[in-house]
Amino acid sequence: MSAGTAGTAGSAPGGPVRVMVVDDHPLWREAVARDVGEAGFDVVATAGDGAEAVRRVPATRPDVVLLDLQLPGLDGVAATREILAASPTTRVLVLSASGEQADVLEAVKAGAAGYLVKSASRDELLDALRRTAAGEAVFTAGLAGLVLGEYRRMAGAPPKGSGPPAPELTDRETEVLRLVAKGLSSRQIAERLVISHRTVQNHVQNTLTKLQLHNRVELTRYAIEQGLDADG
Amino acid sequence: MIDDGWDEGRLRRAVDAFRVAALVYAAVLHAIAHDEYRRPWAGWIVLGVLAVWTAFLVLHPEPIGPGHGTWVLVADLVLVSVAVLATRFVDDLGRIATGAQTLPSIYPGATVLAWAVWRGWRGGLFAAVVVGAVDVVELAGVAGPTAQTVNNIVLLVLTGLVVGFGLELVRAGRADLAAAVEIRAATAERERLARDIHDSVLQVLGFVGRGSNGAAGSGVAGGAAGDLARLATEAEVRLRGLVSAGPARPAPGGTADLRSELAACGRTGVTVTGPADPVLLPAPVASAVTAAVGAALDNVAAHAGDGAKAWVFVEDEPHGVTVTVRDDGAGFEPARLEAAAAEGRLGVASCIRGRISDVGGSVQVTSAPGEGTEVELRVPRQVAR
Repeated sequence: MSAGTAGTAGSAPGGPVRVMVVDDHPLWREAVARDVGEAGFDVVATAGDGAEAVRRVPATRPDVVLLDLQLPGLDGVAATREILAASPTTRVLVLSASGEQADVLEAVKAGAAGYLVKSASRDELLDALRRTAAGEAVFTAGLAGLVLGEYRRMAGAPPKGSGPPAPELTDRETEVLRLVAKGLSSRQIAERLVISHRTVQNHVQNTLTKLQLHNRVELTRYAIEQGLDADG
Repeated sequence: MIDDGWDEGRLRRAVDAFRVAALVYAAVLHAIAHDEYRRPWAGWIVLGVLAVWTAFLVLHPEPIGPGHGTWVLVADLVLVSVAVLATRFVDDLGRIATGAQTLPSIYPGATVLAWAVWRGWRGGLFAAVVVGAVDVVELAGVAGPTAQTVNNIVLLVLTGLVVGFGLELVRAGRADLAAAVEIRAATAERERLARDIHDSVLQVLGFVGRGSNGAAGSGVAGGAAGDLARLATEAEVRLRGLVSAGPARPAPGGTADLRSELAACGRTGVTVTGPADPVLLPAPVASAVTAAVGAALDNVAAHAGDGAKAWVFVEDEPHGVTVTVRDDGAGFEPARLEAAAAEGRLGVASCIRGRISDVGGSVQVTSAPGEGTEVELRVPRQVAR
């Protein structure tokens, strides 16, 4: 969705939003941290790789981790999973270059709250940070396309005998996702479908929640099958 | 075949070694049975010629290989044939009738080996059959081919076939390996370049581009600085696409991945979105869709107005593939399109429609003033027949 109200301070009821910036390129990392800090967010930490980010999360307790997917060592998808395991209230906003679609999808399934391309403008970035901190999904057109594609892939795949049934989209959810993927803002979608802005947000959030829940159930089932929980 | 001096050189030395051993063996046999021959001196002459020929082959500095070896191989075959036939003149007919060794003994085996090594299983078979036929001719009128003779011929044929076929397999394997190593080296080099660009140029471009956003946000955007930053962002997007594209993944025969083809259309202001997995279509359908999308994007650039953004959305559904090109530009009255069609001024629309209907698909254009334009292309999974 397009950038909403930009320029307001990044403060939330409990004080400024705490942000961690994770990127392996120092120049880029400092530029983003500077932008974010100037906009009123509290940059509590920066990290150059996934392992460092995971290590620093418990002490710094960021509200939002701005995470590059392409990281040396522990990659962005694994880092997302471990950050959320260490600090479930933290939200991960993925920043990625184009051409990493499969990784973006994996990160979102692992629990990332949204995704933004690296070429996004400063205002888009700040708006996305603000909405992520407020608990909204940052649902760009790119993410909608990926999520819709994933649901269709699961619907087309042969059912696995013992596993939980793959989640499905309602007709309305499909409709909303298609409009997001075509670049309409949630306000435009609300107008077109004659529903409230809030309802649009709920539909979008639902599609993501179902996908993440399914992914968690699948991972657990896999762990049980592999006997990984035997000594736990 | 591959050009690998070391490997082929070893093969040549192996054949040479067999040749020398076979010659010595033939000479020893001749010496032992010397007194039983009709014309032993003629036997020594024949063996002498073979010895000179062997020395020529073994001492020749250039490997007698596929390049210039045909006359050598033929000469070799002719020489051993003559040597076998000469047995009739040299040896006692009674001895021949009882199945004595031919004059060159196992030397023709070296000839069959040479043919198999440098001309494959067909060459090996050919040489073995020729030598076998000469063996039979040598006996004509004296005796029928003995079990021993038939045995020898079968062994020769087997040697030619097996050695030739085995070497063909080895050479094909080595060629595949060389190709694989080459591809891996090229990929590694490309990845190294991509990493370098990613670590250096992209970082600087991203930094400069980000500077523009900061400047715009704080209201101190200089015109030139703003332009520079915008250009840097555009360059970054293109370069990023280039280095992250990687070598094209091979799609199953005759198909193409629409997703990656359309990703190449990405430019500033255009968002390409779709599933994470490849969207496979017959190659002609994929290229028709890509061309139609390109035309639609050109149309956006020309008519939607300054700063209009566009989205290309790919959907992979069981019955077919849908691609939507939407812009948030000026849009137009739906009636205008019909009017244009009536006047024969179809332009871009007809170009898009033509390409898509050629592959059995359909096009739907919706627009309203101020609402942007949406072009929906639907194509079937199979080429219409």
